[in-house]
Amino acid sequence: MNTNGIMSDGLEESFVQQLKANQNIIHKICRLYTNGEDAHKDLFQEITIQLWKAFPKFRGDSKFSTWAYRVALNTAITLYRKSTKTIKTVDYEQQQFYISHEDYNFDEEERLKLMYQAVYQLNDIEKALVFMYLEDKDYSEISQTLGITEVNARVKMNRIKGKLKKILNP
Amino acid sequence: MEELDLLKKDWQKSGDSFEQVLEVEIYKMLHTKSSSIVKWILIISVLEFLFWSLLTVFLNDDTYQSKMQEYGIENLMFALNCINYLVIVVFIYLFYKNYKTISTTDSTNQLMKNILKTRKTVQNYIWYNLAIITLSIIISIVLVFYHNPEFISLMENAVSNGHKLLFISITIGISILLIIIIICLFWLFYKLLYGFLLKKLYANYNELRKIDL
Repeated sequence: MNTNGIMSDGLEESFVQQLKANQNIIHKICRLYTNGEDAHKDLFQEITIQLWKAFPKFRGDSKFSTWAYRVALNTAITLYRKSTKTIKTVDYEQQQFYISHEDYNFDEEERLKLMYQAVYQLNDIEKALVFMYLEDKDYSEISQTLGITEVNARVKMNRIKGKLKKILNP
Repeated sequence: MEELDLLKKDWQKSGDSFEQVLEVEIYKMLHTKSSSIVKWILIISVLEFLFWSLLTVFLNDDTYQSKMQEYGIENLMFALNCINYLVIVVFIYLFYKNYKTISTTDSTNQLMKNILKTRKTVQNYIWYNLAIITLSIIISIVLVFYHNPEFISLMENAVSNGHKLLFISITIGISILLIIIIICLFWLFYKLLYGFLLKKLYANYNELRKIDL
């Protein structure tokens, strides 16, 4: 066990180094899926644990960042699914918020904030699509990651744009 | 969509604006699962200690004290209690130490060793408790033999009828049965209390080992 132990520590070290170097991509996913600092940290930790569990299967035939964001997205999607009920009530309150502020003119920062909140109201899969869209992934990669056809991915993306417009201008 | 383009622009330049997680923090995240289990072991052991102590305080009334005095084992019981508390406090300290080392460990290899150590500590703790319970049952049975008037008159009856050997063997048989039943109950109690946590801890250990291979 001792000789293996050294190997495992080497494995762990290489994992930690790579995760540290590529952590921004995970932070970005956390930003889309969570609302608030604590939730962000919790999701980050959960993703880290899931990545570590899956790490032995990572063969290095794709880049660490590509592999990591796929596992991270899956983790976020799974977690988000479990908590749809609590999310719904939040949605409702946020909806009220937008209506009451509809007539104001927002500067760019304010518009961005609203946009992030609007994305937050999308469902788990839609968020994953938005994430990959923002990351400039092409539709073939999006379809591969989510296990849907390219056409379906395009249709979904268009629907998301419509949905976001509706949330922003009810 | 104009808003989405705005978001994309912001998104691409916001990449470095996140508060960076340090290496040490990542190591900690990988090990928190074990440390939270060990934390629960610590909490439960303290709660259990408080429970038994309170129970002793409530049961330890004047009649109990005068009985002990009457039997002449007041000092013996006091000494036993002191030793018992001391040992349990040492165990709680060991649990605390295990918790501290596990939550600060930064290598898998060391973590695995610590998990095994924690498991061993809990098992020793359970064995110790079972031994102390056996000892106190034996003391109570001996007390009954020597001081309970009903038992003594029963014994005298049996002796005058010439059934002394039979009586003694039945008494010892019943005593052993009683001890086994009580020990089993306590064993079950500890199994429920700590077994669940130990099982989770061991599952963690196996997970780590899989990565190890």
